[in-house]
Amino acid sequence: MSTAATASHHYTTTGLDNRKIAIWAFIGSECMLFVSLISTYLIYKGRSRVGPFPHEIWKDPATGHVFNPILNIPVTSASTFVLLMSSLAMVLALAAVQNKGKPQRTMGDRILGSSKLWLFVTALLGATFLGFQAFEFTSFVHEGLTIKTNLFGSTFFTLTGFHGAHVTAGVIWLLSLLMIDIKRGLGPDDALNVDIMALYWHFVDVVWIAIFTLIYLIR
Amino acid sequence: MATTVIGPNVGTGVDTGIETGVPGLKPFTPSPAPATVHSYKGGIWSWLATTDHKKIGTLYLFTALFFFLVGGLEAEILRMQLGAPNRHVVSPEMYNQLFTMHGTTMIFLAIMPLSAAFFNFLIPLQIGARDVAFPRLNAFSYWVYLFGGLFISIPILFGHGPDGGWFGYVPLTTRAYSPGINIDFWVLGLQILGISSLAAGFNFITTIINLRAPGMSLMRMPIFTWMSFVTQFLIVLSFPIITIGIFFLLMDRFFGTQFYEPAAGGDPLLYQHLFWLFGHPEVYILVLPAFGLVSEVLPTFSKKPLFGYPVMVYSGILIGFLGFGVWAHHMFAVGMGPVADSVFGVTTMLIAIPTGVKIFNWLGTMAQGQVRFTTACLFAAGFVALFTIGGISGVMHSSPPADLQQTDSYFIVAHFHYVLFGGSIMGIFAGIYYYFPKLFGRMMDEKLGKTHFWLNFVGMNLTFFPMHFSGMYGMPRRVYTYDSGQGWDVFNRMSTWGAYLIGVATLVFVFNFFKSRRMGKPAGPNPWGAGTLEWTIPSPPPPYNFAVLPTVTSRYPLWEGKEADVESARINQQSGKTAEQLGIVLPYDTIKPMFAAFFLVLMFVGLMTNRWLLAGAAGAMTISLYAWLTSPLEPEHH
Amino acid sequence: MIGSPRLRRLIPLGTVAVLALALAACARDYPNTTFVPHSDLGRAIDFLWKRLLLFGTAVFILVEAALIFIIWRYRRRNDDIMPPQTHGNVPLEITWTLIPAVILAFIAVPTVRTIFVTQAKAPAGAMVIEVYGHQWWWEFRYPQYNVVTANEIYIPKGRTVDFVLQTKDVLHSFWIPQLAGKRDLIANHINHIWFTPDAKMATTVWNGFCTEYCGTEHAQMHFRVVTVEPAQFGSWVTHQQAPGFFNASVTPANPPGATPAIVAPTNAPIPEQAGVSAIRMAQPNVTPPPPPATPTVTQAQLASFILPRTSVPAYAIPHTPLPSEISFNDRLVGDATNGEKLFVGAGTCNACHAVAGNALAAGVIGPNLTHVGSRIAIGAGMYVNDAPHLARWIKNARIMKPGNIMPTLGKGQYDPQAKTVTSTGLSDPQIADIVAYLQALR
Ligand code: HEA
Ligand code: HEA
Ligand code: CUA
Ligand SMILES: [Cu+2]
Repeated sequence: MSTAATASHHYTTTGLDNRKIAIWAFIGSECMLFVSLISTYLIYKGRSRVGPFPHEIWKDPATGHVFNPILNIPVTSASTFVLLMSSLAMVLALAAVQNKGKPQRTMGDRILGSSKLWLFVTALLGATFLGFQAFEFTSFVHEGLTIKTNLFGSTFFTLTGFHGAHVTAGVIWLLSLLMIDIKRGLGPDDALNVDIMALYWHFVDVVWIAIFTLIYLIR
Repeated sequence: MATTVIGPNVGTGVDTGIETGVPGLKPFTPSPAPATVHSYKGGIWSWLATTDHKKIGTLYLFTALFFFLVGGLEAEILRMQLGAPNRHVVSPEMYNQLFTMHGTTMIFLAIMPLSAAFFNFLIPLQIGARDVAFPRLNAFSYWVYLFGGLFISIPILFGHGPDGGWFGYVPLTTRAYSPGINIDFWVLGLQILGISSLAAGFNFITTIINLRAPGMSLMRMPIFTWMSFVTQFLIVLSFPIITIGIFFLLMDRFFGTQFYEPAAGGDPLLYQHLFWLFGHPEVYILVLPAFGLVSEVLPTFSKKPLFGYPVMVYSGILIGFLGFGVWAHHMFAVGMGPVADSVFGVTTMLIAIPTGVKIFNWLGTMAQGQVRFTTACLFAAGFVALFTIGGISGVMHSSPPADLQQTDSYFIVAHFHYVLFGGSIMGIFAGIYYYFPKLFGRMMDEKLGKTHFWLNFVGMNLTFFPMHFSGMYGMPRRVYTYDSGQGWDVFNRMSTWGAYLIGVATLVFVFNFFKSRRMGKPAGPNPWGAGTLEWTIPSPPPPYNFAVLPTVTSRYPLWEGKEADVESARINQQSGKTAEQLGIVLPYDTIKPMFAAFFLVLMFVGLMTNRWLLAGAAGAMTISLYAWLTSPLEPEHH
Repeated sequence: MIGSPRLRRLIPLGTVAVLALALAACARDYPNTTFVPHSDLGRAIDFLWKRLLLFGTAVFILVEAALIFIIWRYRRRNDDIMPPQTHGNVPLEITWTLIPAVILAFIAVPTVRTIFVTQAKAPAGAMVIEVYGHQWWWEFRYPQYNVVTANEIYIPKGRTVDFVLQTKDVLHSFWIPQLAGKRDLIANHINHIWFTPDAKMATTVWNGFCTEYCGTEHAQMHFRVVTVEPAQFGSWVTHQQAPGFFNASVTPANPPGATPAIVAPTNAPIPEQAGVSAIRMAQPNVTPPPPPATPTVTQAQLASFILPRTSVPAYAIPHTPLPSEISFNDRLVGDATNGEKLFVGAGTCNACHAVAGNALAAGVIGPNLTHVGSRIAIGAGMYVNDAPHLARWIKNARIMKPGNIMPTLGKGQYDPQAKTVTSTGLSDPQIADIVAYLQALR
């Protein structure tokens, strides 16, 4: 983190901070990562030899047991909404950090101006999303879909698991920013740190939108 | 018109006078070569803890050269086995491990890191920067590479080396058909090395975009930096793909997923697509830096600027783009159907055009010049000669029906050794001979150098040219032995003799390298009379590289530069001052990145052996990462 | 500096070039050459290859000559000369962008045409041969004749063959250099490669190889293809359909009556100069002959064509030396009848191997041995098929072919995979009996 303090003193060609460029390169790379994961899911879609399946009912010929479609669209829609909201909170957190020091007259100003609050809310919503995912995973396992069951299970858990890991990393990152904010308070010259965090967070969010549409909504 | 001679007159003892081509430019007398050469001071610690891109580059160079010798030694054993029919120098199992590790070592542990050595050492010098964008991340990349390299290389010493071929096709590499730990080392090792390359990729992209000295516009960037720039994008965009492709295999092997489980409907072709989507860009990752080095060497020794600089830049970018659209030419035999075969065949052929443009521009650079055949220049010329051969056989593969006879035969082995050895390695050797003086402040021995070149050149052709024939006469690749009377004996004998010759050549090089480092002639700032920025500073460069950041006004500041260039060159060559004296802040030395890297690799070991080790290593890694991120990069300065 | 770089560069390049021509000249010594195709597909590929070679050589000569000339003409003469500081030349750049583009067009067009011709569906009436890859041997099935064999196939000249490629385990690749290109065997995919061997060609044996790395013994996964006259093929089929039986007198003769209807040669050799026409594939319009009524042994004995050993070319006979580790008393004379008992008894051979006509021997893990005695080689082309090799193979297959899943059957033999010495197993005399039995299965 503290690279921020010093690196900004150096001459740069574009005037931008190094980390701003690095994070974009990183996100570009991450795109290829998720593209590979998502396209694998789509390629294997409908190729599973045994159920349960995402959208279709499956009757196990051996046991005669009937498996319902696995995906639970309503619940996931809720978690998607939560993640979207977290992006909004992230925006407010960044704004709050950037406007530190500006006079805060009304109650509203004070609420909007509290970076601690919004960092916390973002982290909380992120954690909530993870909670949803934990619930989703466990219920799938109960319904009889594990990562070993079939191609659907392998691709689904790996893809969403990868995304979950990114959210987790994001939440940890957010909390460490929150700690710094509580310890010494984040000011405008820390804005870049939060800015980069925000870029990452929004990226993870966008990836989820893609996953939600391609995996959950489209049959 | 008034002519000004820039560049000292030392080292090779040949006149390196170059016109500036700038009328009325005052003569510039550089500081003469010092009698003694200051080498990097400080003991082992200063290497473990360094964040100096030059020292890290040196570390890369030595490590990669070591792995080159290892990979070469493996090749020598391969050739020993194939020297005659039905020979049994090593067991079939060991042979399969040897060719797998030979390919893996040469590609991931030798050539890529050799290029990385030049990225590290050169890019900041060529763009007029004091270091890379993230010095500690840079150190981290190196240490991950070193530990990862050992992780993947050591098992073969115990007969447990990876044995799935360098592209580890499934289902052969799944648990069902490779129950041993051999493939585990390969799967995890490649993940580790991927981390190293990716971290370096982000670092250099940022460095090149953001740390160029004033006036160093993109179209003034030295061509090596340009080709490295393209390479970094290829790395950053292609490594995630193989990371996923191999991650699936990892999941299958360790956690019982079904990605590549034929019984569950898993598709071996998915793996092949994911691998080659990375694999083909990878081959350009291997050769573009060599392109760059050759493009630096030829102008200097022809006393002419690079011919068609803009075209060289654009063709490099175009090759990078096309490189992502041809991967399936490695899969012409899998039966993708006529449409796919046609598309990939044609896109593959297209790449010949920008590459050809490069070849012709190199010829154009030498033409009308005063070409001085130092060892470096010999290697560069040899590169042009040999890479062309490899390229042409490449185009022969690109016709799918024709490739049905060529694929997986020794004809392919011939192709890729002409492009990899004749291309990448020759180019990198050109770079080593050319930049050795800048690295160590001493000249390499030209006599030994030329011996190295000619032994290498003859040996190389003797080894790999006959493979065209053994291949087209029906010899499959990756066979631990072959029967007599198949018409392959003579070619294989030639290849084996050739390999021994290359081995001797390489030993000559190793000897020359260490001898010259100790007792080579002091070089001085610009022994070759080159024109680019890295030659405006002492050899070896001081820790801060540039006493004053230069203001660049042309592609070859020392040849075509205006007053400003010459002025900053003069100041920068007055070495001796320390960073403190000049008031330049440099990053602290720190050992934290090394620890982070070490525990990262230990985590992978844990994943293979026991959970507690995994947990412990993860914890230690988090701690060292935290310590790293919370400690300042460099002293505060106001 | 160095004397004449041209000379020094010419030496290696020259030598290789000369040697290249010298070797390309005599194809006879190259039994697996791809330069002398014997099928329509092979010729279609060869047509492209010749064109690629032509342009490739042209470009090679052009570039290397230019390089050598420049090196010689512009090598440093005098340090005071300051060469012209040229930066580039647009017309030149355009020229050397267009010329390669044109050359590539001349390659791309026939390439694409050939792709679509050679990858069309196999013509109706083609003879189907199902190919199953195993680590590390080949299983062949003739569904139209219900014939099953291993590592060795007979195909009639002039008749289109459609190979249907599947794998039982990892990837393999099917290659007969003199007849056609490669096609991979891939799990969950069914691949085809089809071609028509020339009607006018020698009755002889071609080597086939596995060309996709498939594990330890990838190097020893060969097979043999025997191209025969249609009549001989019919006779061979009849023989293969017969159950395994002792002492079949194998006569190279082939009485017409005894042979099922066979298609006449369908494609006249195609002139190579005919340019594009050379890549048109033969489209025989014939219907597969009805599988003949399963013949009686005697009938098969009458007409059982097998390429006599004497006319098997040397390159088709393996020379792999015997591992010194395995000792065997080659003077032992086995008793086939007892061997048959051991085959399904103490030997437990039937656990993996099938012998048609022997109800007890129906294993599917290993090669079908119904007519093993008539085959040229054993171990997927690794060893010549004679008593000493068979005996040692049975005694310790895992030393004969490392990685082999066939168990070590000899008593007191070291099993390199289990890393133990077998306590039970077959004695040398028993092995000799089994060998006698297998050799009798002609
Ligand atoms: C440095 C690495 C490198 C480079 C640069 C290249 C360059 C090229 N490669 Fe190569 N290739 C490999 C490394 C490389 N390759 C490796 C390692 C493998 C094997 C992997 C494995 O299986 O293990 C492989 C395999 C491989 C295959 C798969 C073969 C098979 O397995 O069946 C093919 C098929 O199209 C191919 C094609 C090409 C082409 C068309 C180029 C082109 O980029 C070449 C372009 C250059 C020229 C053509 C010469 C200069 C041009 C002119 C002088 C202009 C005029 C020329 C013409 C008009 C022809 N390569
Ligand atoms: C840049 C990459 C590169 C380089 C430089 C080389 C260099 C060499 N390669 Fe390799 N090769 C590959 C990349 C490379 N190769 C790849 C990717 C494969 C495919 C693998 C696969 O199929 O999976 C391959 C496969 C391959 C094969 C085919 C194996 C098979 O299919 O069965 C052969 C066979 O001859 C071979 C030979 C050689 C030889 C003789 C050299 C020579 O140039 C080596 C020169 C020798 C040295 C540099 C050693 C000198 C040092 C000493 C003699 C002793 C000193 C040593 C110490 C002190 C440690 N290579
Ligand atoms: Cu089967 Cu290689
Ligand atoms: Cu490729």
